[in-house]
Amino acid sequence: MTCDQIRELLPEHLLGSLEGSEDLEVRRHLRGCVACRDERMKLEEGVSALSRAVHDQDPPPELRGRVLGTLGEEWEESGRPAATPLPSGGFRRERSPWRAFAAAAALILVVGSIAFGFAQGHRASLATTDAQSYRNLLTVLGGKEFRIGKLRPAEGSTMQGQALIYDGDPSGDWSSWAIVFAKVPGYTGSATATLLSSEGESQALPPIEFRGGDGETLLVTYADLTRFDRLTVTSPTGQVLATAAIDHA
Amino acid sequence: MDHVRTDEPSSDLALMADFAARRERAAGVLYDRFASRIYGLGVVMLGNHPAAQDLVQDTFVKLWRTADRYDPQRGRLETWVLLTARSLAIDALRRRVLESRSLQSVGVQPEDDPEPLPDEQAAVADLSARARRAMGVLSPEQRSALELAYFGGRTTAEVAALEGIPQGTVKSRIRAALLRLRAEMAKESGR
Repeated sequence: MTCDQIRELLPEHLLGSLEGSEDLEVRRHLRGCVACRDERMKLEEGVSALSRAVHDQDPPPELRGRVLGTLGEEWEESGRPAATPLPSGGFRRERSPWRAFAAAAALILVVGSIAFGFAQGHRASLATTDAQSYRNLLTVLGGKEFRIGKLRPAEGSTMQGQALIYDGDPSGDWSSWAIVFAKVPGYTGSATATLLSSEGESQALPPIEFRGGDGETLLVTYADLTRFDRLTVTSPTGQVLATAAIDHA
Repeated sequence: MDHVRTDEPSSDLALMADFAARRERAAGVLYDRFASRIYGLGVVMLGNHPAAQDLVQDTFVKLWRTADRYDPQRGRLETWVLLTARSLAIDALRRRVLESRSLQSVGVQPEDDPEPLPDEQAAVADLSARARRAMGVLSPEQRSALELAYFGGRTTAEVAALEGIPQGTVKSRIRAALLRLRAEMAKESGR
């Protein structure tokens, strides 16, 4: 679609009445077109102006307590460990650092040994790790699942490696993790691993720095990674070095 | 190894991540930012204060349940919150129509909403007057298209059918209306 066609659809896209393939097309176009993103921003400011001018009215003061109290009940009943009551009667659920450390330690135990085997040329694979081990790990850590993928070198590249995603629970306090181990014999420099979704979304991991041909990177995020099912590794010049399809462990 | 966290202070993404993580402070910040406009939307669309209060509560519960889906690349948090509230208000209106029809079908007269108190009536009248003034900068055609699409939740095709005009005209009227309101708001802030 051209910019003019996209702009004609923007009001509907903004008001949520555009569905299916057209909405997907608009979102894809917006990701790569700054001029149309500017147009969307102007329209969003129009919605903001409309809401301020037409429907901005202070609710009764007691509503704040009622809404926060309802959220507290919702949080308490959402099937996760009970929250700590606050003096105000609300509930607090902080992300617990020990859980993040436990997840890190557990993942390093799993993938660290595999990476060691990989570096030693044993072709150990995350895919061959006992599925029960992942299930046990999930039982300990909580969260949704582990997913894995094997890096397949692009034409002209010798990169090999593994990717592992731990899907925590984005609606709660389980962070999600993505780890990539890569090996390019003799290479020193950097590369970028990027997660991709079937809807065209992307999430870059921190740069992979190679020393002696080995490199790795780790992303820790509270964003939802479940939609990402592929990964590419590119050189600083944008050349694709390897790709991976990520599937259930 | 680098550890990347997406919770830069003060960003909307970080606010929603904190809200998803059940931090009461984040819930309070969101409430203070948006409750008045959700409440006002409820008063305008649903016509009474108890229903507007329910709309605020339902909106915040829905926002929490879907907080992980918020993506700043897809639009501003403000728009997302307002459209979530609007969608719930439209659902409430549809429920009212359905309940009213089903009660009438079995011969029971639906109960009227309780009579609003005098100060509530005054507040609704004040809001209506303000709304009329704000929408007064738009042409009648623009106003009608925007009201049907924004407050009525109608699709472009539905507005076109109701107004008897081509869909392209509806789209351009809504676009022109939003840009005009934006320009008026910028003028107001510059005064």
